[in-house]
Amino acid sequence: MRDIGIIFRREFKAYFYSPIAYVFSIIFIVLNASLYMFHFFFFGNADMRSFFSSLPLVLGLIFIPAISMRLWSEEKKLGTIELLLTLPMKTEHIVLGKYLASFVFYLAALAGTLTIPIMLLILGHPDMGPIFGGYFGAVLLGGFFLAVGIFVSSFFSDQIVSLIITSMTCGFLALIGWQYVPMVVDGWIPGLGEFLYNFVGVTRHFNDIERGVIDLKSLVYFLSFTALFLYLNAKTLERRKA
Amino acid sequence: MIELQNVSKRYGETQALKDVSFSVQKGEIIGFVGPNGAGKSTAMKIITTYTAPSAGRVSVGGFDVVDHPLEVRKQIGYLPERVPLYEDMLVAEYLEFIGEARHLNGQFKSRFDWVVDACGLETVLKRKIGVLSKGYRQRTCLAQALIHDPDVLILDEPTSGLDPLQIIGIRNLIKDLAHSKTIILSTHILSEVATIADRILVINQGRLVGNGSFDELVSSLMDRGSVYISAEAGKTAFDKAVKAIPAVEEIVHDSGLKRGVVGAHIYFDPKANILPALNETVRSAGWNVLALQQERLSLEESFIRLTQSMPEAVIDQPVQEEGRAS
Repeated sequence: MRDIGIIFRREFKAYFYSPIAYVFSIIFIVLNASLYMFHFFFFGNADMRSFFSSLPLVLGLIFIPAISMRLWSEEKKLGTIELLLTLPMKTEHIVLGKYLASFVFYLAALAGTLTIPIMLLILGHPDMGPIFGGYFGAVLLGGFFLAVGIFVSSFFSDQIVSLIITSMTCGFLALIGWQYVPMVVDGWIPGLGEFLYNFVGVTRHFNDIERGVIDLKSLVYFLSFTALFLYLNAKTLERRKA
Repeated sequence: MIELQNVSKRYGETQALKDVSFSVQKGEIIGFVGPNGAGKSTAMKIITTYTAPSAGRVSVGGFDVVDHPLEVRKQIGYLPERVPLYEDMLVAEYLEFIGEARHLNGQFKSRFDWVVDACGLETVLKRKIGVLSKGYRQRTCLAQALIHDPDVLILDEPTSGLDPLQIIGIRNLIKDLAHSKTIILSTHILSEVATIADRILVINQGRLVGNGSFDELVSSLMDRGSVYISAEAGKTAFDKAVKAIPAVEEIVHDSGLKRGVVGAHIYFDPKANILPALNETVRSAGWNVLALQQERLSLEESFIRLTQSMPEAVIDQPVQEEGRAS
């Protein structure tokens, strides 16, 4: 536990050494808020449906890959991975410390969008159920994508390559759970789209939670996939040795 | 303290180490010598648990590097060849992180002060690592390796890229540490280890091709011994008397010397020691000796011979082919 904390503190501080993370957080908050405000003025509804419906793509394609890309790629580029992995710590603890640092950074950025529900509360009487559900789903979704991102970054010493591969992977996971995409895939290989939609598509589970349906299946989906990728990350780092 | 048994390492197609075995006693300083790409760094990465061997066993302080990596890591301080450091951290901040990660707790303050003093880092503690000169980077990384007072130090080319004064500084630091620690340091400069290492391991193309003290290694390289002597003597009488000494194979005279003076290289069987006999000859003939010197290979010559001629000549075992599943 202590080792996780030690790694966590260094990693979290490291986010503030370079401007990249700041820039992406600001883009994330501004982009989301402005997209939302466009909808808000257009339809005049005191809810956050439009905000949450675009969230899986915004997170998967841009924001999460930008946070996760440095986690291992930077260590590989600098060579510091050699010292980090020869510290008397378990690889799992190092992975968890790094992951939690990125997760907390993500939570901070997500908290930056809380201005929207606050504004809604001042202006009208929004139904808070879906808003809570949406944020809860966003926490789970971000956690899952970050686990994918940290896993991907352990394979490349170039941060940009990590960013692109993570973006493609998370983008795929988000799109395949979008209602129309599986139908198209089914058109090519019958059954495949349906299968992917049900078992790997992220958006469907996210939408369930956002609607306030906190179904055990969706929870298990997010938590088990997150755990799986973190486990794979630790294992591949150890296998690199053989 | 450190034990390698039939260690092989392969990266895809390339065989980085081939059946290397050696052991290092507690308190020894070992110089790891070989040309670039010989496998020195690979061996060090295996000892520090960064990579696992493809075959063979390695243990440090009785702990196997594959089965008990954490126990091994606790005992080791490691300075990798690339001198990897977090560029954005301050020197002090970085050493604090390593101190925490090494679980120093209460001892941290005193170890920190010691290491800052020993590595001469007082003036750069509040500087960003990214802006440090090569020498300070090297010392910061060395401080990182020393902060937990490890029993074993693995230093991969600790003086490469430093100026002569800094090299002497690091060399003295290593000498100071030598009494209490087991040290392996690698280099491709033989003169560097000739002075401080108790024993030299020569590695070339992934194989251990030499293992012994500097003098042992160098004398094993000489195909015949050589002594230079200059004396006031007649050439014919000199030749006759010297040839009478057993083991002498050849006498080569210097040309252009004054009349009545000889200067000659005497070559002899390297297993024999001809000096007592030569001394006896000189004395009984009553020559006045002007110079007498045992001739040796230069460091550069030794290095070239060690790393080029030995693989075929000395050790040529078949490469172990079996892999290891893990």
